[in-house]
Amino acid sequence: MNQAINVEQLNSALTSLRTLRSSVSHVFETLSNGLRAEHGEDGKDKFLIELQELLNSVNINLRDLEQTVNGLPIPVPFNLGNTTYLSQETTQDRQALYTQLVNSYKWTDKIHEYSSFAHTLLSQNSLKRSYINSGSTKRRGKLQSNHNVAPLQVDNVINNIDRSYNDMKITISRPFASNAVVSINLSHVLKAVVAFKGLLMEWVMVKGYGETLDLWTESRHHVFRKVTENAHAAMLHFYSPTLPELAVRSFMTWLHSYVNLFSEPCKRCSCHLHHTSLLPPAWRDFRTLEPFHDECKQ
Amino acid sequence: MLFFKKKFRDTNKMGVTVLQQYPVPENKTGTYVIELLTKRILALGATQQGQFLVDCESYLSHPQMGTTKTVHILHNSEQPASVFSILESGTKNIHVIADGLFDLLMMKLSQHYTSKKQTKIESKGPRFELGDFCVKLGSVTMNQNFKGILIEVEYRPCVMANAVWGLLREFLQGLLGPSVPVQPPQHLLSRMNEIYTPIDTIYQYLEHFSAYRKTTGLRSA
Repeated sequence: MNQAINVEQLNSALTSLRTLRSSVSHVFETLSNGLRAEHGEDGKDKFLIELQELLNSVNINLRDLEQTVNGLPIPVPFNLGNTTYLSQETTQDRQALYTQLVNSYKWTDKIHEYSSFAHTLLSQNSLKRSYINSGSTKRRGKLQSNHNVAPLQVDNVINNIDRSYNDMKITISRPFASNAVVSINLSHVLKAVVAFKGLLMEWVMVKGYGETLDLWTESRHHVFRKVTENAHAAMLHFYSPTLPELAVRSFMTWLHSYVNLFSEPCKRCSCHLHHTSLLPPAWRDFRTLEPFHDECKQ
Repeated sequence: MLFFKKKFRDTNKMGVTVLQQYPVPENKTGTYVIELLTKRILALGATQQGQFLVDCESYLSHPQMGTTKTVHILHNSEQPASVFSILESGTKNIHVIADGLFDLLMMKLSQHYTSKKQTKIESKGPRFELGDFCVKLGSVTMNQNFKGILIEVEYRPCVMANAVWGLLREFLQGLLGPSVPVQPPQHLLSRMNEIYTPIDTIYQYLEHFSAYRKTTGLRSA
């Protein structure tokens, strides 16, 4: 509605501008033509009177234009101070500069707006995955990206973990460029595959001893689908971009505690199988590594 | 002997299975017990997935070949392409897993191995899946005579009997009720720390089938 009025006003402003222009050009035309036959004998006076009339109409038209232009609303947020004069630049190749400037200004303005929304949302949900470390801007300078770590360093970290467990065999492969995909054989209990991005864990899939490992297909056994679900939770829990090595090590320790997945009863109800889900305790506490049923862990 | 399976024990893994004899109460029929157990397992949320059949035929070697040996030929509908044969030779049992053609070979060998037709024994009945468990309620018949009930419970995610025995006992005890004593099968005791394979199930069936053959009438415990 508001916009429709604007367009109407603009139209009338443009029409009055056009009439002003035509009346001005009329003045010049009459002037350039000079005295004509129809002016008769005392043509000079008549000519002057005609010119005066024309100038009067120019005046009227100008007043009209000023009125309509004053009626137009001025777009407030895009008054970019002195740079407005850029629009009056006479050189051809610089005339487009002002519109570009306005567009980029709008763009940065939007980014600012969105990022402030994102900031409030993120600070409400204090996700552990984000770098935001409220209050300690000093540390920000020291942060380095752990997504981009030399393969050799990743190998060292993982091989160190491999050496510290006798019943957990870890093998590294790199089917996708430089990022490691690690397969884990935990005794005769389970197999897992972990995809790394640098030193950060990106994806986990847990399967049974007899199944073939790959990154995407789920296990055919309910219990390993449940363990995969819990492993994802653990991966997020241990995620720490500042100390990636610790995160990997803690996750592996946690995963290793599944060595007694079938043999250890739940700490809470001291049963192997939960009475409704008929699953063994497929949850391991993050700190104590004690086994619980999903339903018993609260 | 090209048709012998090489792949077993490496790729042919399966979950730990326990075979349990269920006593049929006096003046009750086998069908009654099967129906009772079916109701019980359906109430736990199981779905029926077809039927199953395990059969066993035994052959005696001809006396001319020296000491008589027994060869048991077993089929399991869970591994439909395989024939399991177990040769009893004194203290040690030797088993061979082969393709279906092995049955034809035994027919060719009928001069040396004679079949004891009257002892052909089988266990068949409904097959249920319940979460990661596979439960089979089998009625055992020898020559169309009902002999008893065998319940097979497989926990498919786990391959080591040692680790999973407590869990399996809990499940069996819950399914069968407190009146039935649940003990690890004799065959499994010696293989608690080994990876479970289909032949281990076959050995358990053979153990029970032999016991059924020895008893006349119904087996109590």
